[in-house]
Amino acid sequence: MVRNPPSAALVERFASIVGAANALTEPAAIEPYTLEHRGRYGGRTGLVLRPGSVAEVSAILATASETMTAIVPQSGNTGLVGGQVPDDSGSEVVLALDRMRTIRAVDAAGFTLTAEAGVILADIHAAAEAVDRLFPLSLGSEGSCRVGGNVSTNAGGTAVLSYGSMRDLVLGLEVVLADGRVWNGLSGLRKDNTGYDLKQLFIGGEGTLGVVTAATLKLFPRPKGLAVALVGVPSPEAALALFGAARERARQDLTGYELMPRIALDFVFRHIPGTRDPLASLHPWYVLVEVSSGRNQEDADATLEGLLGEGYEAGHVLDAAIARSLAEGHALWRIRHAISEAQKPEGGSIKHDVSVPVADVPAFLAEATAAVLALIPDARPVPFGHLGDGNIHFNISQPVGGDREAFLARWAQVNETVHAIVGRYRGSIAAEHGIGRAKRDLLPGVEGDVAMAMMRGIKAALDPKGVLNPGRVL
Amino acid sequence: MPIKILVAVKRVVDTNVKVRVKPDGSGVDLANVKMSMNPFCEIAVEEALRLREAGKASEVVVVSIGPAQAAETIRTGLAMGADRGVHVKAEGRIEPLAVAKLLKAVIDREAPGLVILGKQAIDDDLNQTGQMLAALLDWPQGTFASKVALGDADVDVTREVDGGLETVRLGLPAVVTTDLRLNEPRYASLPNIMKAKKKPIEEIDAQTLGIDLAPRHTVLKTAEPAARKGGVTLGSPAELVGKLKETGVLA
Repeated sequence: MVRNPPSAALVERFASIVGAANALTEPAAIEPYTLEHRGRYGGRTGLVLRPGSVAEVSAILATASETMTAIVPQSGNTGLVGGQVPDDSGSEVVLALDRMRTIRAVDAAGFTLTAEAGVILADIHAAAEAVDRLFPLSLGSEGSCRVGGNVSTNAGGTAVLSYGSMRDLVLGLEVVLADGRVWNGLSGLRKDNTGYDLKQLFIGGEGTLGVVTAATLKLFPRPKGLAVALVGVPSPEAALALFGAARERARQDLTGYELMPRIALDFVFRHIPGTRDPLASLHPWYVLVEVSSGRNQEDADATLEGLLGEGYEAGHVLDAAIARSLAEGHALWRIRHAISEAQKPEGGSIKHDVSVPVADVPAFLAEATAAVLALIPDARPVPFGHLGDGNIHFNISQPVGGDREAFLARWAQVNETVHAIVGRYRGSIAAEHGIGRAKRDLLPGVEGDVAMAMMRGIKAALDPKGVLNPGRVL
Repeated sequence: MPIKILVAVKRVVDTNVKVRVKPDGSGVDLANVKMSMNPFCEIAVEEALRLREAGKASEVVVVSIGPAQAAETIRTGLAMGADRGVHVKAEGRIEPLAVAKLLKAVIDREAPGLVILGKQAIDDDLNQTGQMLAALLDWPQGTFASKVALGDADVDVTREVDGGLETVRLGLPAVVTTDLRLNEPRYASLPNIMKAKKKPIEEIDAQTLGIDLAPRHTVLKTAEPAARKGGVTLGSPAELVGKLKETGVLA
């Protein structure tokens, strides 16, 4: 559908809803809202609206539906698939939720917290901690991503292993529908089978079905002890064997299990200031293991040392550095979280966010690596991620000294090769980052006619005029 | 000839823990709080290990004074690579003078050629024990070390002082206290942690050493720092100048 940029009169009408100060029209003010941080997706818009209340969001969407204006909802702008930034047409209006940052309620006794869409994830962590509770969702971008986006992308991250993804952490939502109606589904209930579970449509809906304005989230008891180790392992197979043993020993207290190849650590130590190799010798693969304890620090330490000791005897563990202090624990996690950043100075990187059944991860890694090297012999695969969830960020850095653009030009071809292997393992080509614009055209190929028809039916029911994030997902 | 090095270590609340003052103001609430080796003590252990690895020391002995849990801190030192531990068991608040006297009693038995301590502990920030110990032993002291060069009969200690760096030469035996930039301590590796479980820790009851451990100071009050006020975003340099004048920073 071809749309024109909103007329001056329409811009004026939108601006009157939020007030002139919160309707951005100057290019310099707009720029941060139009470019995603990887620089892959960026577009144009003449208008960014920053509502301060649910009523204002409602008025904006009612006006958008009436005037057939495309709206791109955005919260922290940390998405990786182009879902939150406008396209190149200049016709889309960005609806930024970054002013709606009130934590409406913290219920320590009921283990819930209700926050507006613009609250930064790290601020949720702090608010939970202040009442001795934990909100477990943990992402590399937690200092800038916001709740609305966490919900709308069904964010994952490193704590999914023990606590689940955002879908498992949301109890209720407040959503403004495409026509401006407000659905108050904020509920702290743990059990509620009254009709369809509507909130599930908006979790991972990528802003195409409604605009999430607030969420009631689950809180958990705060661990009394946390033990972290960086473990050198001989192979992904050994990492998988250690994972099984770790899960058996630590059960739900195994709260982190991240696989990394040596090249990822090389990149981090080369490019990220203040990092260093915690181990005395080099190993082909590493896992970062985190164990929590509801009892105390000694319990967490004993569990971690026990399972690593067992792995050492079994030959699954070559060496491990165990954090003695919180600072050392943070330093070990920093290595893992810095990988994407450390890949940037190494040149172009072709990305895949895929998942396969956990037990198939080693075979998938071997097969996909071989297939990529057959296509581009000097390419440098840097596959890392959440082994415990079967979720691998199968990133490939360009050959040393090669041409960046020539390498990136093969993005689609490499994607096709890797996704075909994922398909054979009955895996997912969009494990935790979503579809957005990046994978929209791939969706029909992996979902099939029945699923696509249901998705289109839901979209038509909730957004009949197609004003919400058009061209994303579907 | 390589010498024996004795390192004193203290178990303190982890630096990254946000501490809370007890409601009655009598101290900091340590219930269910992560405890770690004092970071300056880690640097002291690391320096001793490096001297041993360079062939300049034959043995590294880690000493800690405190309740049963202090043994965990000694075990941490052993996991880093120290050879054995001495745990002087004592309950309650032990002030630097008593710590120095207890350490002297251990040193009289162990006869090390060099004693390394952290310059201060991050819980009370007193920065007294090393100096008091040197005085009690009547040994030379090199405090705030950023570099330690051990010779056969003496040790050169580079100190971080106000105006820059100062290097002093101390005859052995001597006391050295470590500053932040002396080294970056190693991680405890799994094989070393497993080995450490088998290394000996000798226990000594502080009461048997005939030293008066009673605190000489009384804590009157413990209070949290005043909460910082939030900042404001200003629109222009002119507005900034106006604010600075308003608050009296600019005339």
